[in-house]
Formats: sequence, C-alpha cells, structure tokens
Amino acid sequence: MSEDKEKIISEAVEKALQGDMDAINNIEDRVTRSKAKAALVKAKRTNVVADKDSTKENNTSKSKVEEKINFNQALCQKISEKFPDSIDADQNNDWIQLRPENWLKIAKWLKSDEKLSFDSLQCNTGMDLGEGVLESRYNLHSMKHLHKAEIRIIVSVEKPDIPSVEQVWRVADWFERETYDMFGINFIGHRDLRRILLPDDWEGWPLRKDYQEQETYHGIVVPKVKEGWE
Amino acid sequence: MVLNIGPQHPATHGVLRLQVKTDGEIISEITPYMGYLHRCFEKHCENVTYEQVIPFTDRCDYLASMTMNFGYVVAMEQLMEIKVNDKVEYIRVIMAELQRIASHLLGIGAFGLDLGAFTPFLHMLRDRERILDIFEMTCGARLLYNYMWVGGLSHDLPTGFVEATLNFLDYFEPKVDEFENLLGHNKIFVERTADIGIMPADVAISYGVTGPNLRGSGVKWDLRKDDQYSIYDRFDFNVPVGKGLKGTVGDCWDRFYVRIHEIRESIKIVRQAIDQLPKEGDVHQAMPKKIRPPKGSIYRRTESPRGDLGYYIESDGSDTPYRVKMRSPAFTALSVLNEIGAGWLMSDVLGILGSLDIVLGEIDR
Amino acid sequence: MGLLENKFTDNIIVEKLDKLLSWSRSTSPWFFQFGTACCAIEMMAAAASRHDLMRIGIIPRSSPRQADVMIVAGTVTMKMALRVKKLYEQMADPKYVVAMGSCATSGGPYWQHGYHVLKGVDIVIPVDVYVPGCPPRPEALIEGLLKLQEQILEERPLTRKIG
Repeated sequence: MSEDKEKIISEAVEKALQGDMDAINNIEDRVTRSKAKAALVKAKRTNVVADKDSTKENNTSKSKVEEKINFNQALCQKISEKFPDSIDADQNNDWIQLRPENWLKIAKWLKSDEKLSFDSLQCNTGMDLGEGVLESRYNLHSMKHLHKAEIRIIVSVEKPDIPSVEQVWRVADWFERETYDMFGINFIGHRDLRRILLPDDWEGWPLRKDYQEQETYHGIVVPKVKEGWE
Repeated sequence: MVLNIGPQHPATHGVLRLQVKTDGEIISEITPYMGYLHRCFEKHCENVTYEQVIPFTDRCDYLASMTMNFGYVVAMEQLMEIKVNDKVEYIRVIMAELQRIASHLLGIGAFGLDLGAFTPFLHMLRDRERILDIFEMTCGARLLYNYMWVGGLSHDLPTGFVEATLNFLDYFEPKVDEFENLLGHNKIFVERTADIGIMPADVAISYGVTGPNLRGSGVKWDLRKDDQYSIYDRFDFNVPVGKGLKGTVGDCWDRFYVRIHEIRESIKIVRQAIDQLPKEGDVHQAMPKKIRPPKGSIYRRTESPRGDLGYYIESDGSDTPYRVKMRSPAFTALSVLNEIGAGWLMSDVLGILGSLDIVLGEIDR
Repeated sequence: MGLLENKFTDNIIVEKLDKLLSWSRSTSPWFFQFGTACCAIEMMAAAASRHDLMRIGIIPRSSPRQADVMIVAGTVTMKMALRVKKLYEQMADPKYVVAMGSCATSGGPYWQHGYHVLKGVDIVIPVDVYVPGCPPRPEALIEGLLKLQEQILEERPLTRKIG
C-alpha cells in the first residue's frame, strides 16, 4: 500500500478515536474506507493505533508465531515437571509428543488446571506413519484463555494401546471410536469401543496404508481400486 | 421395548438409524447408528491431488458446499502461506454468507417439516431457489459448486451479479420477518419447541457442540470473530445468542431463534461486502501452478452454518495429501442427542433432532 | 393383477383392456422417496415450489407399501445395500425403480477408491430408468420420470408373453 494512503488511514483513525467519525466517512475510496474502519475496530480493542504498514504487519505475525512457540515450550516444561518421563521425543515448536502411559492423568490435569483449562478437544486424528507405526493426534483448545496445543502419541501396530480420555472430554467418545474404526488403535478404558462408520462385521482397518479390501460382504462383491474404465 | 427409527425416513436428514429404548411414550435412551453414507472421503483424499480434493469436500455437506470449500482453501493457504488479493476475499465472503442463508433456510424448513408444518418449508425452498439462481449464474452449478480453489476462485463474477444479489436482498429482507412470524411465533410451534431438549452450556462445550447449537445455549462463540480468518474483521455484524425468550435458555426454540437472526446478520454482511467490493482484480492471480505444500501439518477451523468445521491436513511434500481429516460439526452435534433427548416423548425427540440441523453426508463423510 | 397377468392371448377385448390398465398405471406413479445424499436435496427441490412434481401427478410417499416408483437418489453404500434390497421387496407390485444421479448409476465420483460404496444400485435391484448428473437438475429428474411413464404405457400386462 502506498505511503499517503497509510497516512490518511492513521490520521483518520486517530481522529475517530477522539470521537470524530467524519474523517473516516469522508475517505473517497471504498477499500481504503473499509480498511480504516477495520483499523479503528482493532485500535479500540487494543488501545493502540494499528498502522497499515507492511513491515509492522510482518512483525505482528512473527510475534504471534513466537508467542505460540514460547507457549508450547512452556507447556512442555510444565508437563515434564509434573509428570516426569512422559515426553517422548525432543521438544518441538509446534506439538508435544507424549508417551501413552500417563496420558489420562495428563489430560485430566490439562483440563482442570486453572492457568491452562483446556476445556475442549477440537479434533482427534489418527495417522499411519508407515512401517508399523500408528499415531493419534489431539488438538486442544481453551475457551477461557484462547490458547491451543497439539499432542501426539505414537504406538506400534503390534501393541496399539492408548488410554482413553472420554471421561475428560465427552466428545472423545465418538472421536476415539472413529479412530478405532479406521486405524485399529485400541483405546483402553473406553466404555463402548466398537465400529461407528463401517458395519460391525467389516474386516480390516481401512485408512492404514496397507489396507486390502475383503472379497465379499454378505454376498455382494466389495469393489477394489479401479485404475481405468472397465 | 426397543424400537428402531430406521435408516430410511423422509429425506430431510438422510440415512440415520436411531435405536430408542422406550416404555411406550417416554424415551429412556437413544443410540444413533451411522455409517450408512460412509463414502470413504478420507481414503479418496490420500489418492488424488490437492485440487481434486475440493469436489469431494463439496459432497460431504451438500447443503453448504461453499463453506466446505472455504474451510479447505483457508487451511491450504495457511499451510502454503499464500496471500490472495482483496477481490477474491470479498467474493468468498459474499458466497459464504449467501450459502449460510440458503443452508439456514433449508435447516429451519426441515425443522418445521419434522414437526408437521409443511407451508413454511415450501416458502423457504422457494426463496432458496433464488439464491441457487445467483450461484448458477456465477459458477454453473446449483448444489455442488467446486468454486473456491486454492489461491483464488474458479470463475470471476459475471455481469449483472451485483444487481441480481441486491434485488434478491431487497426482496428477501421483509420475508425473514414473515418467516419468523409464521413459524416462530406460532402457538403450536412454540408449545412443541419451548422448554424441550434443553442443552446447558457446559454440556455443550464438553460434547464439542459448536455453531448455532452452542450459541442457542447462551455461549457467545463465533469463529468469524473469535478465531479470525479471511476479512471478517472489516464487517460490522452481531452474533445472536439464545436468551430463553420463550422458555429456558438452550431449548429448541432458542436454536431456531439463533438461526433466524443469523440470516439477518448474513444479509447485513453481504450488503456491506457488495458495498466495499473492489472493481479490479484478477481472481486467478495468486493461484500456484502446481500445488506442492511444504512438509508439515495444519489444523484450521472455519465457521460453517452447522458449527466449526476443521480440516487437519498433513502433507509430505508431494502433490497428493498424506492425510486429510475433516472435523465435522454435525458429528459432535449428533453425539449430544442422547444427553438432551432422553426423558422426552417420542414426538419431541424428532423435534430435538430437527433443531440440531444435522447433515448425514458430513457425519459419515 | 396376479391372477390375470400374462394369461391371455391377443384379442380385441384384452388389447383394449391392456391399454386401459397401462394408461392408468402410468399417469400417477407415486414415488417412494429413498434419498440418501445430495441427490435427495434435488429430489426435494423437484417436489417443492418451483419445479412442482405434484402437478404431473407424482406425489412423495414415505412408506414402501403405498408407492409405485422407488427413486434411489444418492450413494448406496454396502451397509445400506441390504436395506435397499429389503425395501424393494416390501414394495407392492407393479413397481419400478429410477436410479437418480451418477452415484446410483455407477458409483459416481467414488468409483475409484471407494471400498464401501456400491458401484451402481443395479447390483442389488433391477433398475428401469437411469438419470445421469451429479446432481441432476430437477428438470432432468422430471424428464426421467416422464420417460418412465412412456415405458409403463408400452407394457401389456394381460397378454401372455410368447417365447
């Protein structure tokens, strides 16, 4: 954006903060006017005049990323202090890798702790990382403090057991059933772990990379992957 | 006794099976069974390219295809760090809000249809057809659009789009009051929905319910304001929250009330967006020639008419995704049915199911 | 019609009676709305205000016993295929089936990697008319139903089939 447009917007926003809305309403160009209104809203929220300078925008997004990294590292630190020997791999900037054993206790603490209060589980994804390694990823979010975290737990195909967290977040009930249905990860302590999307007598775990379709299902031939028109 | 409300019932919600334990009239337990429409969306995503995933996302929630596309495209653009130009952003917001109006119209109409009110359903479908005409003018399709692409859009706005949309909004705005009067303040409707199926706020958050269902319980949470994406910060709109005007906070009437008011807010947003729409701009400007995101993963949520729609995309550097998981809002909305539906009469349960506004295509993927 | 069906040879009375019967069957086929997915919305739109199916005499019924035509609108999965077969068997004769949309015709966009999708509903039930499209416009569905009417008009239920 050009220099004088930024100047116009910042002047107009300053005037509007003191109560004079005419400066914004008199801007001719629609796009500039709308940007000025957005800047005013932001300024009122944070009590700081936000310039539409591109370098400043980069700085704010960089600081958001840094905040997230710092929060993640701090969270990792807290978990390893409270539950020693639970962190699986080296610290990462975006997610926390945990061992499956203490997961239920950690989850309860994450929800009940005052400063963290992760009271909603956003999404639970299963992953097949190849070579007999399965993973379950949890995206957590706090409605009170508005911070997020991602937790990953790795298990092997021979012993795919992870403690179930459905007592902590009720939404995990169906999420874990779906992960079980698609990947075969066994959630210990789940009160009713059975298939949810596929029929109960389906064989195999479809989203694994080495999945082979069964031959027939109740007399109907199960379709295989088609490479071309037949 | 155990009764079955089978997979085939009049085509509003789709193929869902409810197994109810009842003593004749009062239902003590409801177990939903799904999977009758499991179309292996996630398996398909692993085998096709990133652009080819978009038509598959359309077909998951077929009543709100634009917002399904929008969610995927926002997640991909954050993963690849693409910035689109203003014209694309404004058009996306206009399409998403028009789609929200259309989806709510059908949701409310089907809710009334479940309770026996046939006329509002026909009126709402008639007005929804006019929105579908606008969409057809733009991208050629009535229901499944494949309109929003990574980095831009598939077609630019045709001539006459702005006039057609403004004509529609001028025609439609008084109709919303008519619908609210016809259905919402109707004595029979109020008696069948007020104080029924009450969902307290903490139950809703714990079960992961979001969107109009959560706002009907009094929690002011809207991703367009609280978890900012696209250019929603340039518009001035309210977030309607259920207040318990006809009964308690969080009953079925409140969820209906939130949806009707959201239609009004969407009309406001579309008017403001058309007002601010830039005239110049190329909608294909920021589209990459080959979509090959860097290795990594992202989870991004956007606001669909049913709640917060999340896409978890993991890429391994090639041109097909490694894993795409769609976190659908209707999945979690259905899981709360046992909690709020048990203990009511049989005829109330279908009303509660209608007020949750689920779409089976999204639940089963 | 079970007692009298296909019992008679060609003569003038049977021919006129045949025409009367097939005409009366064709002009008001009530459909059994078996909507599973996106095509169900277009089926509902076809029955609603703008493209009104009721003016042609086609009314939606929710129970298979009361319906003549079953419109399979949407993808049929393996879990649902068993129920589709049961519902088809519960319909009373004479019954017809319209496969609406490309998912019901041949699996649709899920033809390549869908392990749970039935590639065409004609694997489990016999289909009379296929309506292509994804989803087909309501006008296309109306054309399909009118073609079905023409097909019914050509039937000769009383005449014995030779050969």
